[in-house]
Amino acid sequence: MIYVTDGTFEGILTAVFEAYRNKEEPEGIMTGDWFQTSLDFNVRTIGTCQEKADRVYKAIIEKMSQEVLETIYKAWLSEYHDIGTAIYRYVRIGLKLGRNVISFIQNPDVRLINDLSMKVSKEAHLFTGILRFNKLKNGIYYARMEPDNNIVMLIADHFAERLSDQPWIIHDAKRNFSALFDTRQVVYTTDDIMIPADYKNDSEFEILWKKYFKAISIESRKNPRLQRSFMPVRYWRNLTEMQR
Amino acid sequence: MRLLDKLQILADSAKYDVSCSSSGSNRANKKGQLGNAAIAGICHSWSDDGRCISLLKVLFSNCCIYDCKYCVNRISNDIRRASFTPDELCALTIEFYRRNYIEGLFLSSAVIKSPDYTMELMIETLRKLRYEHKFNGYIHIKSIPGADLSLVYQAGLLADRMSVNIELPSIQGLKLLAPQKDHQSIIRPMSYLKEQIQGSSELTIYKKRQMFVPAGQTTQLIVGATKDSDLTILNLTQNLYDRYKLKRVYYSAYVPVNADSNLPAITTSPPLLREHRIYQADWLLRFYGFRAEELLDESHSNFDIRVDPKCDWALRNLDKFPVEINKAPPEMLMRVPGIGYKMAEKIVRARRIAPLSYEDLKRMRVVLKRARYFITCQGKYYGGIDIDTEDLYPVLSEEKPPKGIPGQIFMFGSTG
Ligand code: SF4
Repeated sequence: MIYVTDGTFEGILTAVFEAYRNKEEPEGIMTGDWFQTSLDFNVRTIGTCQEKADRVYKAIIEKMSQEVLETIYKAWLSEYHDIGTAIYRYVRIGLKLGRNVISFIQNPDVRLINDLSMKVSKEAHLFTGILRFNKLKNGIYYARMEPDNNIVMLIADHFAERLSDQPWIIHDAKRNFSALFDTRQVVYTTDDIMIPADYKNDSEFEILWKKYFKAISIESRKNPRLQRSFMPVRYWRNLTEMQR
Repeated sequence: MRLLDKLQILADSAKYDVSCSSSGSNRANKKGQLGNAAIAGICHSWSDDGRCISLLKVLFSNCCIYDCKYCVNRISNDIRRASFTPDELCALTIEFYRRNYIEGLFLSSAVIKSPDYTMELMIETLRKLRYEHKFNGYIHIKSIPGADLSLVYQAGLLADRMSVNIELPSIQGLKLLAPQKDHQSIIRPMSYLKEQIQGSSELTIYKKRQMFVPAGQTTQLIVGATKDSDLTILNLTQNLYDRYKLKRVYYSAYVPVNADSNLPAITTSPPLLREHRIYQADWLLRFYGFRAEELLDESHSNFDIRVDPKCDWALRNLDKFPVEINKAPPEMLMRVPGIGYKMAEKIVRARRIAPLSYEDLKRMRVVLKRARYFITCQGKYYGGIDIDTEDLYPVLSEEKPPKGIPGQIFMFGSTG
């Protein structure tokens, strides 16, 4: 039996709920657009239900822990192709082991979710550092990013606290997903954001920053390989100091 | 002079100071103000030499009245000179911060006119940042040797972290290379800071008091400008952690900038691998429960360049190995080459649920290339060869130095 969901976090949790209610053990919980109907499997389409999702959500916190829930959620943000199945298997082990599930790294299902979650956390932490804002003419600070994982929601609070007196936009251009901050609250949107094409011509401070970046490096210690290992080339496009 | 030129000159002169970490402070944002400090520290970029850029690291001025032999900014050098104004420095800090280029400011300076005069200008900058610009981001200020302690106190109320750089690991070195700085002008502010930091954390238990250097004090030592051995450096480090409660000691491989008969030749390349080994040892002192005297002694006063300090220690203590992965106490697991302290913690948690097999360790990415000779797994030894020093040294030593030698230690957090 394969369950097919809409791929949202709530959708996957709903499917987990259904598996237990139906006393079924589905081979997989898959996403509609990814799953190719195969003749070998029975397929059940699961409609997302907030209420059922909530019950699983609460059960994870109560029977496991807040930390486990966060781990599962972050793993989901990785957009791993078979994340539904992975979460289902993790929850199954979690219902036996409780809060210790997270430490049971001998188990491949546990390791998979832990590793995905770690990857997402790492990238989110990296972006609290390498996100770059450009000041637009209207006074809004605009940051464009193209992360591997869907991390806008993980970093928005950090910036809402830190840059709390300036309006800003964090725009994931890969997913066309944005966080908007008006100095009071953060709202998320998938609407198109209209940004002037010359937004990168910020001000003298961009030039000053690039100058600083060059001046701080020690020539006799030059090590581009090490630099790239911390700051992979795929991120350079949106890094002010890496623009010629 | 244009701001662009000043920045170029004053960043260039500051770049040999290696401490750029922004960790340890949790200064909070106040509504409607700018910035906060993240307890874990954040890197914002990595320069072409692979070092983390976290803070805007500049000198207030490079116009120095002193003549320290190892320093580019010494008075007898013919170089371009510049000084910021407090307002220029504020503008740079604030505008960089708003664009998320930096965590905050790391301010140091050459000695303009006098230590007190210099310190006053630096304090004025900090005061403007904190009060006029309502800036709550991270500030690290270097105390100028010889400045009055009342100025050290004022700076401490404004900064998150302070440092007094020792630079030269022995008094002889100091006399030879920095004759105008005396030993006392370094030690005095250091112990003063220690007392103030301790005092303020004790007092906060009773009443709310102004924060004083919440991220603690640090220092920097130059490696390779003098003939001092690794043992001298590591003993000093141990002492600084024990007696002065320093948060971090940074090390900087000496980059020759001046020709002098008392210094290494100008063509000498910086001893990066040696610096790397000392950082690894420092890490062992801070996170692994090692003491300096376990790692080095008079008969073994420098680290082996070909094996890392933990391997080096293990090879001299083979009677303590192998240890059983499923039983050894965490303190001992951490001492196994190839197992870092985070990995040790993972192992301890996982083995409570089910015993670990050799395959499990492989999947957990334990560095078995090194660890296998020092462990057993469910009673079985996987090293293949007998453990004695003769046979192990060649398999554990690094043929070539590691490819990437980080200049900041928190980069090898999870390896052994
Ligand atoms: S006091 Fe500082 S800046 Fe001046 S020469 Fe000595 S080390 Fe250099």
